[in-house]
Parts: sequence; structure tokens; C-alpha cells
Amino acid sequence: MGRAYSTIAFDPAKCDGCGDCMTACAQAKTGTDDWARSRIQIVGRGNATQDAIRDAIEDATEKAFELALCRQCADPKCVTVCPAGALAKDGASGVIGWDASKCVDCLLCTVGCAYGGIALDEVSGHVSKCDTCDGKPACVPVCSKGALTYVTTANIYNEVGDWEDLFAPGLAGCQGCNTELLMRHTLRRVGPDTVLATPPGCVPGMGSVGFNGTTGTKVPVFHPLLTNTAAMLAGVKRQFKRMGRDVTALAIAGDGGASDVGFQSLSGAAERGEQMLFMVVDNEGYMNTGMQRSSCTPYGAWTSTTPIGAGCSAGQPAQGKTQDAKNLPLLMVNHRCAYVATASTAYMEDLYAKLDRAIEASKTGFAYVHVYSPCTTGWRFPSDQNMEVARKAVETNFVMLWEFTPSEGLRFSRSVDDPLPVTDYLKAMGRFRHLSPEQIEHIQGKVVENSKFIQRFSEQAHGG
Amino acid sequence: MSTTTLEKPAVSAPKKQKVMLCEGNEAAALAVALARPDMVAVYPITPQSSLVEHVASLIADGKMDADIVDAEGEHSVLSVLQGGALAGARTYTATCGPGLAFMFEPYFRTSGMRLPIVMSIVTRDGITPQCVWGGHQDAMTVREVGWVQIYCETVQEVLDTTVMAFRIAEDHDVMLPVNICLDGNYLSYGTARIELPDQSDVDAFMGTKDVNWHVALDPLKPMAVDPLTGGAGGKGPATFVRYRKSQCRGMQNALGVIEAVHAEWAERFGRSYAPLVEEYRLDDADFAIMTLGSMTGAAKDAVDEAREAGKKVGLIKIKTFSPFPVEALMRALSKVRALGVVDRSVGFRWNCGPMYQEVLGVLYRLARESGTVLPAMSFIGGLAGADITIPHFHRVIDATERLLDGPAPTEPVWLNEND
Amino acid sequence: MEQTQYLIVGSSHAALEAISAIRMHDATGTLTVVTRDAHLPYSPTVLPYVVSGKSAPERVFLRDDDFFARNAVSYRPGAGLAALHADSNTAELADGTRLGYDKLLLATGTSPAIPPIPGIDTVSYHVLRTLDDALGLRDAIAQSRQAVVLGAGLVGMHAAENLVKAGASVTIVEMSDQLTAGYFDKVAAQMIEQAFTDNGAKILTGSRVVRLEPSPVGARLTLANGTTLEADLLLVATGVKPNLEYLNGSGVAFDHGILVDDTMRTSVANVWAAGDCAQAKHFFSPTPRVNAILPSATEQGRLAGMAMAGDAGIKPYPGGVPLNTYHFFGRHAISVGSSEAPEGSEVLTRFDEKTGRYLKAIFRDGRLAGIFGVNEFFDGGIMCQLIVRRMDLTADKERLVADPLKVGRELMSRTWR
Repeated sequence: MGRAYSTIAFDPAKCDGCGDCMTACAQAKTGTDDWARSRIQIVGRGNATQDAIRDAIEDATEKAFELALCRQCADPKCVTVCPAGALAKDGASGVIGWDASKCVDCLLCTVGCAYGGIALDEVSGHVSKCDTCDGKPACVPVCSKGALTYVTTANIYNEVGDWEDLFAPGLAGCQGCNTELLMRHTLRRVGPDTVLATPPGCVPGMGSVGFNGTTGTKVPVFHPLLTNTAAMLAGVKRQFKRMGRDVTALAIAGDGGASDVGFQSLSGAAERGEQMLFMVVDNEGYMNTGMQRSSCTPYGAWTSTTPIGAGCSAGQPAQGKTQDAKNLPLLMVNHRCAYVATASTAYMEDLYAKLDRAIEASKTGFAYVHVYSPCTTGWRFPSDQNMEVARKAVETNFVMLWEFTPSEGLRFSRSVDDPLPVTDYLKAMGRFRHLSPEQIEHIQGKVVENSKFIQRFSEQAHGG
Repeated sequence: MSTTTLEKPAVSAPKKQKVMLCEGNEAAALAVALARPDMVAVYPITPQSSLVEHVASLIADGKMDADIVDAEGEHSVLSVLQGGALAGARTYTATCGPGLAFMFEPYFRTSGMRLPIVMSIVTRDGITPQCVWGGHQDAMTVREVGWVQIYCETVQEVLDTTVMAFRIAEDHDVMLPVNICLDGNYLSYGTARIELPDQSDVDAFMGTKDVNWHVALDPLKPMAVDPLTGGAGGKGPATFVRYRKSQCRGMQNALGVIEAVHAEWAERFGRSYAPLVEEYRLDDADFAIMTLGSMTGAAKDAVDEAREAGKKVGLIKIKTFSPFPVEALMRALSKVRALGVVDRSVGFRWNCGPMYQEVLGVLYRLARESGTVLPAMSFIGGLAGADITIPHFHRVIDATERLLDGPAPTEPVWLNEND
Repeated sequence: MEQTQYLIVGSSHAALEAISAIRMHDATGTLTVVTRDAHLPYSPTVLPYVVSGKSAPERVFLRDDDFFARNAVSYRPGAGLAALHADSNTAELADGTRLGYDKLLLATGTSPAIPPIPGIDTVSYHVLRTLDDALGLRDAIAQSRQAVVLGAGLVGMHAAENLVKAGASVTIVEMSDQLTAGYFDKVAAQMIEQAFTDNGAKILTGSRVVRLEPSPVGARLTLANGTTLEADLLLVATGVKPNLEYLNGSGVAFDHGILVDDTMRTSVANVWAAGDCAQAKHFFSPTPRVNAILPSATEQGRLAGMAMAGDAGIKPYPGGVPLNTYHFFGRHAISVGSSEAPEGSEVLTRFDEKTGRYLKAIFRDGRLAGIFGVNEFFDGGIMCQLIVRRMDLTADKERLVADPLKVGRELMSRTWR
């Protein structure tokens, strides 16, 4: 019965108070440029007049802007205090709609709202509020700073919420782990006509293949060896194909089992164009077995096999891993797989779009999806921070979101321009806490190098 | 020879078999085609390469309807087949030496998953000193991980046994993978006259395909295959024990099944082989020599010559090495008073041949039952492609004969040491 | 006897919010709503707009039958509560039906308070509390040539404006010395009065009616100063009083209204009360008060529903804050908080004669106590939060008064975004 809704999101850190959103709204809704009539109101924290906002932009050292905008509350006070039944939350869109023909202009709604989300338009004499422009808010596309976004991720929930969750309830992932989320979403999307291979690691470790004769999955599932996931799954798929059965072969593997000891079979299967969807959940190490280093572990990171040692305080160099990470998805690009993509659970719509393409590609060839998956336990950050860490990884270009097909080449699905400094990512977790300035410099350098390197693929594909 | 009673279908007279000349590797490939597998996975390695080349040609020529997977290495070769078998495929591959060593991880697992995969080992010595020539060291090294292992003596036997291997592996009372071992060089490249059964007769022999009846990766019947089993507490260890025990029982069941399948083969195609242990001129022998694989031909010639010279020698050939045919060996060994065992590989721990080492267990049981200890000694020959010739076997016969009234040496005799 | 787990008496804002709160926590418990009104739920607040014709009477209903069906609510209009037998958890309806309940909410609202003027029962007059009242008044206004409105509260003023606009000659008689007392201060009241007199209404503040008698026109009113007024339409809008008659013998304690605690529980087990009939904690008073305004009714109704359903998420009632809005002759007035300015209070005002914009804010110890505007729009909901949160605005109060809309939002952004 529950439903999720799209929403206009505001990131105050990115807002420079330019007011373009207010101009766009006023134009869309009133045909004027009058900011006062905009239903989205950027509010200066320091001084509140429009001129002062402009002044503040010019000498802003701190970007300090906030927003007054209808939040389309789930429990809208404006609706409950309306005596005329003129306000109502639409069950499908979640938008609180205003019915001019019922409104008596009593303004009680403005007394009910604690967020300045519905206010008097003194020109019209009526209240006005954001209606999200029927799902195409005029304010969002004009925000050149990216402070306003229209988050439509709710569509995923509404769409997939009714699909069967094909994992058993109660898998024993670590607190705050996003791998379980990823698994459940992925298998929901791929559907029941699937054989799932999941080599030793967190995915079976949390019980998906079960223990002692039980199972954690509602589709056929098996433990391949750490080394042979792609090969074993290829055999399964080939036989079903031979029998004329349309079964999706899905692997959910860790980065260790894919980039290290399982790489040969992965590479072989990709080269042969085996028809499968191979998903790597990259938590940058052997996290299930106690957080040991893999070839996907980034430079400088602490793992239990790349310890810090005595460290700076003892006059020793700060350590952690002393080599850079292997870029496994790029290696897969060089196999000319039918489809290769990177994804992040902080960008679920992007992930879903890529899953759809990957499923399609897996019908004719090898589809590879590499999902960056922060490890609450192994990376040492609070368990409520998983999505934030995942997001920061992308926002700093520490990882990049793109997709590749042999015919279309490589395309970024999220711009890599204007990344945040990599320190915004590094400081979010404990495994980098020891880093020396030189190590941080190395990592920042690698981020730039990687970004340039991948951009060259993109430019080759799209004529730069 | 066979002690198993068969419930046999009515056997009609076989169609005329095609007579041709071919090497052992080709004979194996032809046998695979006759068995109609769904999937073969290949990776070339000397001296197996021509076998998979023949398989690939048969498929490319439309003479064999199987999915061929040119995997990137033996590890994946067997892994692909495991996946195929779990989805219901009849599967086949071949390897040897380093390839077998590389696939050891999935190899070990195949028997545990009870997957009836058939794999030829074109035996090869090595791995170091680097060696591409024949020897049983590879197959002997993996003898303890639950595969049925059957050794062939002739090219014809390679063909016949390779077909039979699928029936043995897929038998509901067995459900174990089977190695057909053919000696590198001597059988792989040795060219001989063979009779090739007609496909329709083999089809009748094979019956209806029913590979995936016990464990399946099928969305129509979802199950978890091979969840973690065991643990310090709970029911895990007991579950594991029951599983292992049934695996061992399947191995023992194989003895009877191998006999029955051989008997049926003999009836249908007119060629019979001792399925477990062959006794040659044994009934009136005072002592015996024991062989394995292709060396047996020369050994039989030597026995014949020794008999003409008045030596009361017989020969025991082991065909089925795993499961070890203890009862059949008991019967054979009870007929003689001394034994010389010729191995084509070494057992590093006991300083003797591995087959000799296995036989010692049988001799112990025999001693308990008869009250007499049969003297025995170990010979090691034919390593790294070396030939064990008739003169070599005369040395074996003479040395074994001396056991009848002399002390048994504790050191093995290295036959090719001074060639 | 019929049993219901939840029984709600009344069908306006408090009752409707209680239904939602109960169903949020308990989707299946039997729930019955009885109301003396014959219609689907509507708001008393919308009635002046029915009178004026701005609201179509068939479109003022706040819920439809489908709502009650979806929420598994047995809705029984035309069934008023006659007596409460709290000792046996039984409600007795006007038709004699008895209903057993586990939990009872009294949201019975108010009725017009009729002043004890000699002769009042000899004349015909209008009141405005129900939809039927509104329809009757609407029709009467269309016929009226000379009307008298007793009481200059918001109901009376709305009706008077409608009468003026309909072309009647209108006299407003108010006992106190200003209009809209209790809602707006003298300055604002003066602006309102000016608007009415500019439009031809006659306003008699500080006047008391001492006698009413029938006349050929309709009714004749005699004022304390001896003046007489003739009225073909008399509207009595001198206030409202909670409906409490059914409480006799129930044991439920009441004063001006039904006394309730911070979760709207009455003095008797299993009985709650909310809305205009409840006398609850008040933000500006040490003792409970009836705060008969719509926003308080919704908040109290929601709390009562949560308490009845056993919702652990309940938070105690912070106390009622007066909140009123008023439109007159194209102008608007907003009133948030207490209009009282005891000694030590700081009162900041701003008035622009040209635009008619008026703003007044009252601060106590640097904290906002009340803010009032005429033609000066600000976010009443934000101001209410500033009051309830007792935010120290010492550094911001001048700016707040200068631009309450922007500064209010700025404070909101800083504080509770």
C-alpha cells in the first residue's frame, strides 16, 4: 500500500544563490520574472533581501543558502487545517494539490505549514505552492550548480516493490552493509528464471546459499569455487540454451574472487562471449574473511594484510597498501564484452538502467556490471554512512560511473567534471585515517590520472 | 569372470562393426561421439592434444552433436562441465599431467558433487623433471579424491571402456565421475586395428539419457547446490558424515556396476574384458606378476616365454584401480605364493610403487584369512615414456620367483635405471 | 448491545484527524463515528463562505463515503450523543440506541451561545454553526434590506460583509468597545472598522441590546442607550459554547469545556475529548483553556487518536496557540500567538498608511509571544514554531519585524530544516 514519490532535492552546499530557479518558477507559473511570486524560495542565511543575496554571492566565502519549498509532506498539516477541502495529497504523485475552485482564500494553510511551503501570492490574492510542474519541475534543469535535483528514485521502489524478493528474509549481512540491498534489488530485477552463482565471499557468507542443507535463495543457487564462477556458470547457461530454455545466468561475485584468483575464468568466459550477467560487488578486499587485501584494494588503504605498522608516531612511514588498485571494469572493456558498466548503490536509478541493459546484453554475450560497495566493517565507518560513502566515492571521482558497449564505446553516465577533492571521500572512513600528506597526494594524483585515462576512452567513442 | 547377475534387455545381434586403424586418442574420441555427450570442454596438452583435436573435428564435421567449449585452461574446462552437468548435461573432457594438476580444485569437487563427468587421462609423467612423455604419475597422484579410475590395455579397450564409462558414471547407484586412463605415448599414439560399433547399437546400450536426476540447478525446481556444511556444533558435521559415507558407498557400488556393464558390453558387442582384475595363466601358477595398463601386453608375452621355460608364473592385471578391487584381488592372490608388482609411477612416501602399496593392504587381509604371508616386491618401470620390454619383465619374473624361497627385498627395483 | 472498539462522537476536524491517527496504528479495530449532523463531514470554518456563495455547499465536504469504506469506519450521521454512561463504557444516542465502546472520543464541538436578551425567544433570528444554518442564512441575506448582526467576532463580521455586498443596510452591534476583540488589537480593529464603514456598514461598539420584540419588519432591537433598530434579518453571532449536556451524570469533569490532560484524556477512564469542546493545556496560560480554533482541533484530534490506539509515538500536547486568519474587503489579517502584552513585554509595530500594511510583534524576554499583521503576509506556521520553540530572537527581532516573511524563513532554515 505504501508508495514512494519523486521529490525535488536541495543541496545547500552547492547553491550559490543565483536565483535562476526562482526566475524559472516565476516564469513557468506566473509568466513573470518576479522572484516574490516563485513557489521555490531561496533563502539567504545571513541577510534576507534579494539584493543582499546577490551581495552575498559576490563575497561569499561560505555558501549559505537555504530553501523554502513545499515538501509535499506525507502528513501534510496544510491539508488538515484547510476548512474547504481545497488541498489534498495526490496518492499517485504524492503532490499536494491546490483546488482553486474550492479555496476560500482563508490562509489557514499558511498557518499550518511550518516550512513556508505554501504562501500568499499577493498579486493573485491566492495561496500558491509547488506542484512539481507535473513531474517536470522547471526549477531543476536551470540549476547550473547541481544544487537542485529531481530525485525520481522512488519510481524504482514503486516499480519493483511488488516484485518478489527472491532472497529469503533475514540474511546475516553486517549492519549497514549495502550488498544485501544490492543483491535483493538485482535478483528482483533479473527475476525468477535465473540460476545464481555466488562464489565464496560476503554474498554466500550472509546465507544466500544457505547452511547445512538449507537455502537462502528462491532461485537455484550454487557456490562455485572462488576461482571458477564464470566457467561453471557458463556450463549451466550453455546446457539450458541447448535444451531451448531461456534462463538467465547471474553471478554475484566479490572483487577478490573476480580480480584475483577468479580472473582467469572471468577473462576466459568474457573472451568466449559466454551469455551471462556477471556482477562484481567491489568492496575492495576480502572482507568476508577478515578484511584482507585484494588487487582491487586502493593504494594506502589499511587491510589486515596491509597493516599500518608502527606508523608515523613511531617514526615509521604510514603504510597500508603500497600499490594502486587494479581497474577490473576497464580490463573487461578490453575484452570487448557485450556490455560493461560501473555502478553504485548511491545511484540506484543508474544502477537499474544499467541492469536492464546488462540483462539484455547477457542474452547474446557477456555482460559485466561492477558495483562499488563500501564495506561498513572493513572500511571502518559508521553503519549509517554507507550510502554517503558510496556517494562521496563517486562525487570525488575516486570511482566513476560509466557504461560501455563495443558499438557505442564508453559513455559516462555521470559527469566527471568538477569532482570534490578526494579528501572528502578519504576522511569519511577509518581505513585511510593514517595517510600521510604524500600518500593523499598520490591518491589525488591517481584519481586525476584515472579520470583522464577513462575520459580518453569516452572521447574516442564520441569524438571528444 | 563376472559375479554380478544382470537384468538385461533382450539383445539383438550387433550390426556389423566397422573395422579401421586408428591411434588410441582417436579411438577415445570416436567412443565419446558414440556416447552422445551434450557438452565437451577442451584444452590441449601433450599427449592428449590429438584426442581433443579429433573431438573438435567430429563436432565440426557434424558427426557429433555436442556443445564444445574451448576453455582457457583445464581449471575452467572441468568447471564448465560441472555447470553443464548440474544443468543436466552428459559431459566429457580429457587431460593429463600439469593440466590435471591445474584442475585439481574442481577435480576434487566433482566427486563430492556426485557429477557423472567422464574424463580421459592420457597419462603423463612429470611434472618435474619437465616431461611430456607417458607414465602413470598424474593419475596415481589424484587417486584419493573420489573418482572412479579405470586403466586400459589396448586401443580397442580404450574405445570400448570409454563408452562404458558413461554408463558406469551415470548409474544411479554410483553417480561418480570416471577417469579412463590410457597410457601416454603407448596408447595415445599407438595405432591398432579396431572394430567400431554401430551408433544404433551403442544407443541401445546407453539407453535413455537421465543425467541430472539427483541434483539440479533449475528455476523450475529451485535448490541450493552445495551450501556450507559442517561446523563445530549443530547438525552440520553429521550431515557431512552422511554425505561422505554415501559417497564412499557409491564408490563401492561401482565395483558391481563396472562388472555388470562389462558383461552387457560383451553380450552386445562380443568383446569381453576382465572388468576389475584379469587373471592370466594364474590357476596353476606358483607366483604372479602384477601389471597396469598398456605394459600388460609385453608382460603377457614374457609370461608365455617363462612358462615355456618351465617357470610356473601367472599374471594379474588391474583394470579398475579405483575403487580398489579388494575381493577380486583376494581371489587372484590366493592362487599364488609370491607376487611382483610393476608400477609405472612412484609412491614417494613408501619408497615403492603406489599399486604395490595398495596391494599390501590386500595381502594383509589375505594373511589374516589364510595364515600365510605372501611375499611381494615392488618394481618401478616405464617412467617418462620408457618402454618396459619383454626382457624387463623377465627380470621381474625371475626376481619374483626368488621370493618363493628367499628373502623379500625392501627396496624397489628400478627397471629402466640402467637402460 | 452493539460494541465498537473505537467510538468517535462528532465529525469535524478533530474527529477526522483521530480517525487517521487510529488507522495509522490499528488498521482493523472496529471504529464507529456518530454525529448529530445529517451531512458528511464539513468544517464550521467554511460556513461563512457558503453564506457568501464562494463555496458551493455540495463541495465543502472534507471526506466522502469512500473514505469511510476504505478506512473501515461505520459513519452514522444524524445520531447525536444523548448521554454517556462512562461506568459501563456505553454511549446512549438521541434515538435511544446504546453503543458499547472500548475507547471513546468526544469531539462534539460547540453550539452558538444565545445571549439572555429579554424577548429573544419572541423573534426569529439566524445563527451560523451548521451547514443548514448557512444555507438558511444565505437565502435570507438575498432577501434582506436592513439587517442587524449581534456580535463582531469573525462569524459576525463575515456575515456582515456578505450582507453589505448583497446591498443590505447593515448594523453591527458589539458589546465590547472594539471589533474582533481577542483576535486583533485596536489598531487592526480600527482598520477593519474603517473598511466596513467605508463600505456603508454601521458599527455600534460598546452597545448592548436590552430588548427584542417582533415588529412588522421582523424584529425590533432596543439598545441600552434607548436607540431602537429594525431588522428584517437578525443574526446572533455572540460566540459559541461547547456541547456538554450529555455529560450530566457521566462523571467526566468539565469547566468551560471538557477538561483533558496532555494526551486529551478526560477525568474518566477510556474517554478522550478534542477540538472545540475540549479545555486543554494552553501555551500562554497556566490553566487549561478552550482554544476553539481549527488548527488546535486537528492537533488535539490527532493526539487523542494516537492515545486511543496506543501509538507509542505520541508526544504530549505543547499547549494551544491562538492562530487566526481573516479576510475583509480584499484585505487579509493574520494573528499568531498571544495578543496580551503584560508588563515587561516589548511591542514592536510598523504601519504604512499608504499601503495599509500593519505589523505588530510582541516579545517577552526576547522570545516571540505574538505577531499580527494586516495586509502583511508572513508564514503563520513558521511564526507559530518560533513561539512554541521559545527561540531567543533578541538579535533578530528588529529584522523580523522589518521583513517577517524572509527572516522567518531564514530562521526556519537555520533551525529546523
